[in-house]
This record gives sequence, structure tokens and C-alpha cells, in this order.
Amino acid sequence: MNNTLPYQDLTLITCTLAAVSSPLLAALLNFCLPAKSKAAGWISTLGILLSCVLAAKVFAGVWNNPQIHVKEVWFTIGATTVYAGILLNNLSVLMLLLVSVIALPVHIYSTAYMKYDGRYSRYFAYLSFFCFSMLALVVVDNLVLFYAFWELVGFSSYLLIGFWFTRDKAVQASKKAFIMNRIGDIGLLSAIIIIFAMYGTFDINSLFGPQGIVSFTSVHDGLWVVTPDLLPKSVGSVWLSGGANGSLPAIWQYIAVAGIFLAVAAKSAQFPLHTWLPDAMEGPTSVSALIHAATMVAAGVFLLGRVYPMFTETELTILACIGCFTAFMAATIALTQNDLKRILAYSTISQLGFMILAMGVGAYASSLFHLATHAFFKCLLFLVAGIVIHQVQHIKEDNNLDIDPQSILYMGGLGKKLPFTFIAAIVGGLALVGLPLTSGYLSKDGILIQAFEWSDSRSAWFKIIPVTALLTTWLTAFYVARLIVRVFFGEFRLLKINPGIKLHIGDGGWQYKLPLALLAICSLFPLFSLHPLLYEHAWVFNGLSPSNYLVRENIYHTIIPAGVNILSLFVLYAAYAIYIKQNSFSLPQTGFLYRLSYNQWYIDKIYKRAFVKPVLGFGKACFWFDKNIIDGFIHLLTKLSGCAALFTAWTDKYIVDGFLHLIAAIVQSIGNFARSFQSGKVQYYLFSMLIIVLTLFILKILI
Amino acid sequence: MITLTDFLVVSAALFCIGLYMIVSKRNAIQILIGIELILNAAILNLVAFGKHDSISNSGQIFALFAIVLAAATTAVALAIILNVYRKYKTIDPGKINNLKD
Repeated sequence: MNNTLPYQDLTLITCTLAAVSSPLLAALLNFCLPAKSKAAGWISTLGILLSCVLAAKVFAGVWNNPQIHVKEVWFTIGATTVYAGILLNNLSVLMLLLVSVIALPVHIYSTAYMKYDGRYSRYFAYLSFFCFSMLALVVVDNLVLFYAFWELVGFSSYLLIGFWFTRDKAVQASKKAFIMNRIGDIGLLSAIIIIFAMYGTFDINSLFGPQGIVSFTSVHDGLWVVTPDLLPKSVGSVWLSGGANGSLPAIWQYIAVAGIFLAVAAKSAQFPLHTWLPDAMEGPTSVSALIHAATMVAAGVFLLGRVYPMFTETELTILACIGCFTAFMAATIALTQNDLKRILAYSTISQLGFMILAMGVGAYASSLFHLATHAFFKCLLFLVAGIVIHQVQHIKEDNNLDIDPQSILYMGGLGKKLPFTFIAAIVGGLALVGLPLTSGYLSKDGILIQAFEWSDSRSAWFKIIPVTALLTTWLTAFYVARLIVRVFFGEFRLLKINPGIKLHIGDGGWQYKLPLALLAICSLFPLFSLHPLLYEHAWVFNGLSPSNYLVRENIYHTIIPAGVNILSLFVLYAAYAIYIKQNSFSLPQTGFLYRLSYNQWYIDKIYKRAFVKPVLGFGKACFWFDKNIIDGFIHLLTKLSGCAALFTAWTDKYIVDGFLHLIAAIVQSIGNFARSFQSGKVQYYLFSMLIIVLTLFILKILI
Repeated sequence: MITLTDFLVVSAALFCIGLYMIVSKRNAIQILIGIELILNAAILNLVAFGKHDSISNSGQIFALFAIVLAAATTAVALAIILNVYRKYKTIDPGKINNLKD
């Protein structure tokens, strides 16, 4: 398309392509290796290291510079030409770098974590394939390609959740994740189709870019139209390619937005489609860290970031409500779960809810900032959980115990045995709570402050949203404290139950320590902002927000961080007191609220009742219908045609053949009769001849 | 006075006797004799009708030819009968039925 690209841009594009394709290459190589080959881990790690370096180069070249967009003709159908290309702007390079930087420690960690797995190279092939899909997802410029990689990301996640496919639970979880994601995919696909019908293009830049056509579209009088008079003079006329409507009934806009929301909810595990994420923890922990905490689940937020101009004011408010509700619900569930990974999974859902909430209240930059910081500390927490589970698993196997290695009820006092892991967990946990000096503080307070500012200009009812968000941060503090206290403080409860067991556990080799160290450093404030307390100084925030963004001007900027953190500290201490000293008060474990939380708000059960059972019942009914009615009808037809065939066979045998046999018999008897004259005696012939001649003569005379 | 009709009656009688012998006799020689009788009936007819051609006497001449031919055919027939006898050890035509289908 654009042959006059500057040399610099061309280099960056090449680097991007290389960064995207090197994990794919690693995946392909690993598919060719034998299943237990130890080389696989290093091939994948090298691939992602290369991606990481290249992504850093691209990032340095594009960040805060004008965006780079190159495209080539992909195919032409009729009058519509579809382009495929790469769109590099602040958002996509941030994601490119983030994904590869998170993936690198996870790869290193996996080389140790999966060491004894029988399908080692297959694991790394899947992991590299995921990295490829995710990296490609963030740089493509076209909704069709976006959809394709969106699917591939979901598919590789499915493969990795079901990696230990001999476990029934893993299989169920992978199916659940796949089906839930499928619901979202339907939404995204229909949204893409509607957008194409409206604007006649798939190009993300010309749709949602700075001068994008979506910005000049409005909904009024029940119509969704491109309004040319909204255009600034510099843009000229709106160009709509052939086949585009340019104007549709308003309902289509709502359907498209609902479709996008469905896609976001499925991928980023928002209410009502969040239930797959806790189940997805059946996969290897390193996978949970990379895919189900840091990167893939953020793809939904990324999608929102891409199509942000599409949402109207009301739709953004709905988005905020849903995000807020999800955040609150997931946080309450995380309070009472006993499975280490499930707590983290619900915490992920809760944090994703914060991001969606931020998108909804217009805190676009804060949302993506939180995405970036969350990726680091949540990945760190998952890797910590992986180490803990790994060690408990060792104890279980060494002593032949019958325990669930993921249950925090059996843990405790591991801080002394795993000191390095303990420190990493503290850093990650504090970042998750959002205490000062961590990255989580910067991003989360940004969201809270902007949520309050947003609600100021609205009616009093909208105050519920920021207040709930605030409440959620305290809940977060509580469950984080509970998790860390239960696992790392106090006495080792397993030892209390089984006094005779032998313990020889430790932090593990450098493959465990290095990733933890990397991620722990990234979870602290200096990476994002030189000022530890003011989120407005974070470079990620500044790079993504509009240039005329308001500065600190009201009281929220002071009161909220202070209030949140003081109360958080209090909550942290309360949790410590409850779970360690045990003497203050014990929580009632029978109340309605406890059961609601412990059973995850009964949402899974409701879904089971409301959707799974009817669907299964419907399937069974269909099976019954198929077996008895359709098959029965066919069997009836078989029998009928069998009877008809029998009748035909009878007719054929006795009537048709009988007739033929009759003729044959007649002919034969005539022949036999004629044959009887042929006695072979000469005199007899002569006599016959004589008689015939005589007869002829007599007849001649008579007639 | 012997008229043409008398000849013809004799001829017819001869023919009928010959025919009867051919059909009924159980000896090939006798059948041969029957054939000769039929031939002679024909020859008699030739001679009898020859009276209408008293100038060139073609009837009589033709009769002579026919007698000669009859002698020749008889010789051939006898040879055949001899061969038949050699092969079948009988000359009863009723017992030779190889022509039967």
C-alpha cells in the first residue's frame, strides 16, 4: 500500500512481525519434537525472549510517537476489498510489550514447573502458540483478523486448561471455558457483521481511530447514522465504501454493543459469563498465571480499548454497573474459598471488574494502566501459588497423604520454609491490595478517584458504584490477608494433623526464583511512575489518556487514597488477628452470607439448573425424539418397503416368472410334440410325407 | 382294345404297390424293389403318353434313359445297403434310427 514508508517505520514493522512470529516458530518446532524432549522448554523460552527484545524495540519506537499503520490487500469480494495489516499505536505496543514481558518469566518458570510432565514439549508448543495468538491479536488492524486471533487465543486456552486431560475435572473445565467463550464469540462476530453492514469496512483504524468514522456517528430519532455535519472541516467528506449502509435503525447499534459486551464478558470473565475462570484453574498453574490472570483475560479489556468510541453514554454506564457488580461479587466469593488458586481466580475476576468499571466511567487510561499493573502482580501471585502447591504436592507424595494440595486449610507457617516465595507473595499481595509504593496503588486509586469524579456529575444513585468499588478494595485487602496469613504465617497445620511427616521443601532453583524476582520488581512503583503516590505521573497513564486531561483539582485525589489505605491497613490487621490469634472472634460459618459466598453466589448452581439441565434435557429429548420418532418412522418405512418388496418378489416369482414358465412349458410341449415325429426312421418320414401330401390333395379337392 | 386309361390304371396300381412297399416293408431290399416299381410306373406313363409323339418317339427314348438311370441308382442303392449292413448288421430300416433327435 504505502511504499514510501520511512525506513524507521519499516524496521519497526519488521520487528513486530518477527516478534509475533517467533513464538509461532517455536510452537511449530516443538510440535516436531518428541514428547519428553527437554529442548522444548528452551526453544519456547528463546522464542519469547526474542519477542520480548523486539517488542521492547518496537515499544521504544512507537510509544508517544504517531501511530504506524501499514496494510496490504488481503482479498477482494465483489466491490469490497479487505485489507490486512498492522496497527501500532500506544495501546497495541503497550500490550505487545506487556504480553511478551509477562510470558518470559512464565516460560522460565514452566521449564522447572513442568519438568516431570510426560508431555513437556507439547505443553511448550501450546504455550508458544498462545503467545503467538495473543501477540498477533494486539497488533492486527482488522476486525476479521482480530476475530480470528480472538478465537485462536480461546482455543489455545482450551488446550491448556485441558492439558491434563486424564482428569475429569480438567476436561469439564476446558469444555466449560470453551462453551462460555463461544457465547462471547457469537456476540463479537455479530457485532463485526453489523459494523461492516454499517460502515463497509473492517479496518480498526478507520473505524475507531482518532479520525475514525465511528466518532462521527450518532444515534438519534431511532436511527444510527453517520452525520457528516459532525465532521471537522479538515476531514472532508465521509468516505463509505460500497455496500455500506451508513444508516441503520438504532436497534442495530444496541445489538452490536451488546455483542461486544458479550465478547468482553466471556473473555474477561465478567458477570454473567464469569464462571469458567475459576474452573479454568484446573490447568497447570503456570498457565493460570499467564493466560487466566495476566494476558488472555485482559483481551476483553483490550477489545474495549479498541472499540471504545463505539459506546454511548448510557452503554458506558451499564458497563460500569456490570464491572462494579462483578468486582464486588467476585471479591465476596474470594473471602471464603479454600482453594488457593480459586481465591486468586476470583480475585482476578474482581480486578477485571475494576478495569471494566474504569472503562465504563471513562477512565480509559486508568483501566489499561490497571491492566498492565495487574498483569504483573497477579502473575506473580499465581507463580507463588504454583510453588506452594508444588511443595505441598511433594509433601503429599512423600508421605502418601490424602489431602488436596491446593487447600489453604492445610497450609500455614510456610513463610519460614519458603522465605523467598514469602517475600514475593507479600509484594504481590500488597500490590493487589493497592498499598502505596506498589504499582497496584497507582492504578487502583486512579480508577477509584475517577469513578467518584464521574458520579459527581450524576444523580445521587450513581454514588453506589464508586462506593461499592471502595468497599471491594477493602474486601480485597481482607481476602489477600487471609490468603497470605493462612499460607505463610502461623503453624503448619498439616504437621499438626499428621505429626510424623517428613518435610524437605524449599524455594526451588533459579528457574523459580528468577521469574519471581523479575515480577516482584515489576510490581513496585518505580517501573511505572517515579512518584510513588500520584497516578497522574505514571507514564502508562499519560501515554494513554487524552492530552488535555484534567489535573488534580478536587478533594478526591487526597481523601480517597488516604481513606482507602488506612482502612485497608486496618482490615489487613483484622484479618491477621482473626486467622492467627484466633482469640478475637471466630466468624460464623453457617450464616446466609457465608453460604452465599462459599457457594459462589450459587451462580454455578443456577446456571446448572437454568441452562445446563434444560439444555441437557433438551438434548435428551432430541435424542429420544430422534431415536423413537425419526428412527421409528424410518424403521416403519423400512418395514413397509420390506413388505412391498416381499410382495413384489412373490409377484415376480409366481406371476411374471410363472407366465414365462408357462410359455416356456407350452413351447417345450409343442417342441416335444413336434419332436416325437422325428423318430429317425426313414419309412416313418416317408409315411408322414405321404399323409401330408394326401391331405393337401384331399383338401384341395374338397375346397 | 387297350386304351391309354388302362395303361394309366396299371401305372397307378404299380405306383401304389411301390409306395406301399416303401412304407411298410422291413427289408431294405424290398424297399428298393418298391422304388423300382414306382420308377417303372413312371416309365410306363412315359411310354403310354409317348403315343401322342409318334414322330420323334421322345417318350420311348426318355423311358430308355430312365431305365438306364434306374439300373445305375439301384447299383448305388445296393452299395449303400451293403455298407449299412456292414455298419449296423441289419438292413431293417425300422431299426436304424440314428436320425432321431
